[in-house]
Amino acid sequence: MDRLRQPLTILAFLGPALLAVVLLRLWPAVFAVDLSLRPPRGEGYSLENYQFIFTDPQFLNSLVVTAIYSLIVNPLQIAIALALAVLMNVAVPLIGLWRTMVLLPVAIPQSVSAVVWGVGLRPDGPVNALVQALGFEPQRFLTSPDQALASIILIVSWIGVGYWMTFLLAGLQEIPRTLYEAARIDGASRWQQFRYVTLPQLRRTLTFVLVANTVANFLVFAPVQILTQGGPQGSTNLIMNEIYSQGFVIGDARSAAAATVVLVSFVLAVVSIQFRMMRAPEDEER
Amino acid sequence: MTAAERVLRTLTIAACGLLFFLPLWWVTVSAVRPQEEIFAFLSPLSPWTLWPRNVTLAHVVELWSGPFARAIFNSMYVTVVTVVIGLVISAKAGFALAVLPFRFREGVFVVIVVSFLIPFDAIALPLFGIMRGYGLQNTYTGLILPGIGNGLAVFLLRQFFLGIPRELREAAMIDGMGWFGIFWRIYVPLSVPALISAGLILFVFQWQAYLWPLIIAPAPDYKVAAVAIAQFSDFYGTNYSLIFAGSFFVSIIPMLVLVVFQRFFAASIATSGSKD
Amino acid sequence: MTKPTLAGGAAIFGVVAATSLLLSAAAGAQTTINFLSAQNDDVFAPVIEAFEAANPEYRVVHQSVPFNDLNTAVESRVGSGDSSIDVYAADTPRVPAFASKGYLVNLDDEAEAIEAAVPNPVEIDLVSHDGSIFAYPMWTSSQLLYFNRELLDAAGIAYPDPAPEDRLTWEQLIADAEAAQAAGATWGFMFQQVDRYYQLQPLFESAGAGSGLTGDDLLEPALTGEKWIETAQWYGDLFESGLAPRGVTPAQTDDLFERGELAYFVGGPWALNRFNQVDGLDYGVAPMPYFEGGEPVTPTGAWALGINPHAANLEGARKFAAFATLTAEGSYLTTVNFALMPTNAEGFERYQGRLAEMTEKVGPVLDIMVYEMANTAVVRPRSVGYVAFETEMNQAFGDIRNGADAAEVLEQTENRLARLLARL
Repeated sequence: MDRLRQPLTILAFLGPALLAVVLLRLWPAVFAVDLSLRPPRGEGYSLENYQFIFTDPQFLNSLVVTAIYSLIVNPLQIAIALALAVLMNVAVPLIGLWRTMVLLPVAIPQSVSAVVWGVGLRPDGPVNALVQALGFEPQRFLTSPDQALASIILIVSWIGVGYWMTFLLAGLQEIPRTLYEAARIDGASRWQQFRYVTLPQLRRTLTFVLVANTVANFLVFAPVQILTQGGPQGSTNLIMNEIYSQGFVIGDARSAAAATVVLVSFVLAVVSIQFRMMRAPEDEER
Repeated sequence: MTAAERVLRTLTIAACGLLFFLPLWWVTVSAVRPQEEIFAFLSPLSPWTLWPRNVTLAHVVELWSGPFARAIFNSMYVTVVTVVIGLVISAKAGFALAVLPFRFREGVFVVIVVSFLIPFDAIALPLFGIMRGYGLQNTYTGLILPGIGNGLAVFLLRQFFLGIPRELREAAMIDGMGWFGIFWRIYVPLSVPALISAGLILFVFQWQAYLWPLIIAPAPDYKVAAVAIAQFSDFYGTNYSLIFAGSFFVSIIPMLVLVVFQRFFAASIATSGSKD
Repeated sequence: MTKPTLAGGAAIFGVVAATSLLLSAAAGAQTTINFLSAQNDDVFAPVIEAFEAANPEYRVVHQSVPFNDLNTAVESRVGSGDSSIDVYAADTPRVPAFASKGYLVNLDDEAEAIEAAVPNPVEIDLVSHDGSIFAYPMWTSSQLLYFNRELLDAAGIAYPDPAPEDRLTWEQLIADAEAAQAAGATWGFMFQQVDRYYQLQPLFESAGAGSGLTGDDLLEPALTGEKWIETAQWYGDLFESGLAPRGVTPAQTDDLFERGELAYFVGGPWALNRFNQVDGLDYGVAPMPYFEGGEPVTPTGAWALGINPHAANLEGARKFAAFATLTAEGSYLTTVNFALMPTNAEGFERYQGRLAEMTEKVGPVLDIMVYEMANTAVVRPRSVGYVAFETEMNQAFGDIRNGADAAEVLEQTENRLARLLARL
């Protein structure tokens, strides 16, 4: 196929989206980068803001916390989402209702989800009541530096797993039944069907979910900001919470901008690696 | 599947659904009970934890007699417009990035991917400065615009369009169909699940949005529901009854929308027929 | 082939734009004054109505944002030179920061009128920076010790003396709270604004530890003195021992007292309305305790009205703000639907009638608050770095409440504050 030489066609299709992305995301981002290079006092450009954040124990701690969090939450959420998608990929009574119930948490304002779980995980709250009814010691959840991050992971997973499940479900439903029949005829077990039919067919959808989920998890902060403000003792201080706190609460826009540049660069690197890992030959020039 | 397997599967599915729904059910219960009972049955567990002992609709009435009604309307209007315009824009862009051959296609794709890596909160203030210059505070346009430039939706649709076999469009081109015809008559009908997924992305982003509507449109005529709910809590007291009543309505609307659109996730016949 | 798309897109945009125009509020023939605050509409509705009646050429539009986000809204709008806010509610501890950034109009030309309406020098201090007045004082606050009579009776404890000169010490209070808890109360004691500097500053001032900031500009953190650590550890021990609950947010503390689970509660007078509406809650009030050997100290300060220097309607903005704060009528009307105390002396006279009515049932609320405001009120540090300071302190208190070692937390906080404040 000849390379398209009509810029008008390309513009008609791509123009609005590109315009929106550039004007509403990239252009303001350039401002943010510019701001990150301006020192808090004085003129000109310098790396002072970057120096500040990289010598700040709280910022460095937030990098560590975010790394640990990402390494746990991404595989966890995708595994659960995939399991749920496979489970719910069947036409049983009221299946639409059950799927919606799992998906619904993502459509609710995060402030609401945070408040509800905050109450639920109170040391004198219903989750502990259940724990005690089952014969265990009451837990400290969000008030303990050892359990707070796990609690946040629980909350964020409750919110997001249904969302990712929905995409995976759409992907699963695109897989032709004929492929499974062929595999069954060849004597493949359920697990083998999953490994050799489902997963490869899901590749594009899985790439999407993996990348989008990773990015979304790097940008999590609402539940943290509402429930723990990064504590106890910095154990839940995800980087986006640190940025929000610096930029919007304390009002130090410059160090917040510098931290944002660091965050975006890092996420870009991670996403590139993920893309490379998941690429299939048929994604090349068609 | 045997009948027994089917029953077991159905029960497992229902249990998962109900488990996820539990916290929202608690919100619903809290919205219709007297304020002093909201936190009364947290521990130890009792039937009243999840079922109202005394029911009152007073808080719901109070909620709707205030500015909340306008806020819900604002949220719905802004979200619907965002989804419609956003879908048109994203589908066309996804098509261009998956199908149209042109130089720099990969580069443009990277640019779009990078855009959704940027945390919105980090650019909210500079973006506000830009929009203020155009007089877009306290307008619907100001609320809608950031929602339509969604790189994630473009990414999703591009991924999906890549999976549609080239034979279909090659055949159409031989028949003399132009790019727009291929897009509208071949790709779009095959992409209903993906379009719904992209619509979901746009919907969730805009329905949930808090920081942006707060900065750009705090005037009562333009306030959105998420911000209105936060209003029920300040330094001097929090009205949890109104918060939960508001949360109920802010949740039930997406729930209805989602239940309706669930049906359209079923695979279309054309695709399964032509996949090799 | 491409034209239909463009036309389609244009049509959609056209429809949206037209609808948006139709739905936008039409501009009136009057001058509109835009007023930003963190309160609900019904708080300011009475005073707005009265102002519009007296000044029909003006129309006041109240825009409210949640309290936690007011600072964001002010920074992003006033900070960027936005003229669409004329007057806004400024939290008095933030006045120095706002004034130094140029977010407030200097009101020295009205200083005489302001000082005449608000004779209390503490309140004038709260709206000043560098010797000039930058906001119209509107409300102030104080604190009370609430106690549940039933729970105290069950433990055989005498009610705290309502006379300010004979107030309880913290040591006595904790002993009584423990006894009440032993006799059946779920919790012995709780602060209303738990983990917040506003609520806890009096502890450190009363113990003689100071506010936490020193230096000429109050930009040097001083948190690691012996008294600071001791008092902070005392605070953490309240929760460690189970006397007060962990995990309950400030928004959920009133509820504990309302449901009769809490014996003693230190909180603001705004809780009175709520408590009075609860059936069967038999409670009383007394003055806030102090540390033995130290001074009685209560927190104070609340909202003031500031004028945006870039306001589209400077004259109208100042007229409205003056009406709402410097006239007795305006000042009183701002408190009709809200429980804070007006700083305007005459407005306060009208306001106090409601408080006096409560005396028989719960105790001499009015007398206590008048005494505190005149004798024990200490303001939060007047520093341009206050917001950063408060944010870090709240975080530190939260950590201490959840069991972290007070000395360690305070040292880390001091180091961090030193770095943050150096950037201002």
